[in-house]
Amino acid sequence: MADAIIEVKDVEFRYEGAEEEAVAGVSLRVERGEFVAVLGRNGSGKSTLAKLLNALNIPQKGEIWIDGVAAHEEANSLEVRKKCGMVFQNPDNQIVATVVEEDCAFGLENLGVPPEEIRRRVDEALRVVGMRDYAEAAPHMLSGGQKQRVAIAGVLAMRPKIIVFDESTAMLDPSGRREVFSVAEELNRRDGITIVWITHFMDEALRAGRLLVMDAGTVALEGAPRDVFQKTEEIRKMGLDVPPMAQLAAQLRADGVPLRADIMTVEEMAVELCRSKFGA
Amino acid sequence: MSIEIRGLTHIYMPGTPFETRALDDVSLTIRDGDFVGVIGHTGSGKSTLIAHLNALIRPEPGHVFVGGVDVGEKGQSLIEIRREVGLVFQYPEYQLFEETVEKDVGFGPRNLGLDEETVKTRVREALSQVGLGEEILEKSPFELSGGQQQRVAIAGVLAMKPGTLVLDEPAAGLGPAGPEGLLTLIQGIHESGVTVVMVTHSMDDAARFCDRLIVLNHGRVAFDAVPGEVFRHEAELRGMGLDVPECVKLVRALKERGMDLGEGLYRMEDVRAAIEREVGKC
Repeated sequence: MADAIIEVKDVEFRYEGAEEEAVAGVSLRVERGEFVAVLGRNGSGKSTLAKLLNALNIPQKGEIWIDGVAAHEEANSLEVRKKCGMVFQNPDNQIVATVVEEDCAFGLENLGVPPEEIRRRVDEALRVVGMRDYAEAAPHMLSGGQKQRVAIAGVLAMRPKIIVFDESTAMLDPSGRREVFSVAEELNRRDGITIVWITHFMDEALRAGRLLVMDAGTVALEGAPRDVFQKTEEIRKMGLDVPPMAQLAAQLRADGVPLRADIMTVEEMAVELCRSKFGA
Repeated sequence: MSIEIRGLTHIYMPGTPFETRALDDVSLTIRDGDFVGVIGHTGSGKSTLIAHLNALIRPEPGHVFVGGVDVGEKGQSLIEIRREVGLVFQYPEYQLFEETVEKDVGFGPRNLGLDEETVKTRVREALSQVGLGEEILEKSPFELSGGQQQRVAIAGVLAMKPGTLVLDEPAAGLGPAGPEGLLTLIQGIHESGVTVVMVTHSMDDAARFCDRLIVLNHGRVAFDAVPGEVFRHEAELRGMGLDVPECVKLVRALKERGMDLGEGLYRMEDVRAAIEREVGKC
C-alpha cells in the first residue's frame, strides 16, 4: 500500500447556522509527494475542505489524518498546522509585519524557536521563493505575486510536509500567477513537499498530477487531469469551464472533424489538426 | 459623452525614494458607445488611469475632458462628472456600506436630490438590469455572495444613470462560474447604450467582449487598437508580462506548421469556423 500523507474518511462539515453541509461526505487520500489540484465553483466546498486539512475547521463527522495526526480532534490543531501549512487567496490578509523577513519569522517566533535557528530558516525560505533580495523590504511595496511568495516563505519556514494553497493565484495577474505556481511546482519536485492546490484556473489544474473536482460538497470527479477534462459536458453542468483547447476539441469532434479525444493544449491541438489535414 | 485624456502624467510619492511614475504622458479618447478593455501588468497604471476618468484623482499635469468639460479646472463641480462616469471597484466590499441593498443602491440617486418615488423606481430598475429581484432589497449587502455583491455594486452605479460605466476587474475572484454571467450582463448594459471601460487581466475576456483594447505598459499607452490588431503583437505583449488568447496561440502554432487560417482571428468561434473550412469534416 502506498504511503498516504492525507487521509480523509467520510467527513462532514457544516458552518454554524448554515442549513446545509459545506462538505457532505468526503473521503480521499493524498500520497506523500503528490501534487493534487482541487477544482470547483464558488460554494462547492473546496475552501472548506482546505480549512479542514489545516484544522481551521474541525469536522462534525468523520476522520482526517494528516501525516498520522488526527486533525479531526481540536486538541491536535497546532501539531496539524506545523505539518500542513496554508497559503490563502488574498496576500494582504496574511502578511502581518512591516518588514518581509519579520513577516516570515512570525510563525517561528510564536513557537519559541531560538533566534539563530529562525535566522537560518527565514534566509533559506526567502531564498527558495526567490525573495532574498527583498528581505528588508516593506511588504506593501511588493507586487501581488511577490507578496504571495513572501507568504509562502512564511509557511516554508515552519518546515511543513504539506502546503495547501487556497486559490492563492486568484487575485494575481498572469505573470504573478505563473510566478507563484512555479514556486509550488518546484517545492513539490525538488523538496518533495506534498501540494494541495485549490484553484479555479483550468490551466493550473491541468499541470497537477491528479485532479479532484468538487461539487455540492462532495468529490464529483477524480483522476488524471486530462482524463477528467475529457468529460466536458459533466464539468460544464457543474458550472465549470474546461480548458479552451479541450472545449474546442469537443466542439470540432461534434461537428465531425476527426480528432483525438484528449487534446488539452495549443501544441497538441496544432499537431493533431495538421495530422488530420496533411496526414501522418 | 466622450472622455478625452490629453498629456496625463501621474506621479505617486513625488520627491521620495519611492517616487513612481504611474502614468506618463497618456493621451487617448473613449468615444460614446465604445466597449474598451484596459489591459496591463500589475503596476502598469491601469487603476490610476481609471481613477482619473471620474476625477477621483485630479489630473496634474495633463487634462481629462468629460463631454468637453475640463475636470481639473478650478471650481469645477465634480458631482455631474461622477454621475456621468460611474466607477465600480474591483472588490465590492469596498464599495458597499449601507445596511440594506435598497439603501445602498439608492444612496447615489438620493444624493442627487431625487424624490423618494424616483429613487425607489431607479433602485428597482438598476437591480433588474443586473439580474437581481426585489427579494434582495431588505438584505444586508454583506450577507450576499461575492457575485451578488458585485452586481449590487454595479446597480448602485447604474442607479445614477451614467453615460459611461468603468469597471476595475469585475470578474476577479468570482470563481469560474461567476465571470461568465457577470460579463454577459455587462455586455447587456453596453447594448442598452452605456459606454463601458473595463480593466481586465483576462485576454480571453478582452477578446470576447471588447471592441477596442488599450494596453498600458510602465504608465504609457503601448497599444490602442481593435483586438485583432493588438493580438498580432504576441512577443511584445509577452515582454510586458501579458498573454494572448489561447485561440490566437493556436492560429500561430498552425501557421508555423504550414496551415494558414488567415489574419486577425481572435475569437474562438471564428477560429473554429476557419479550422472547419481548412481541415474539413468527415
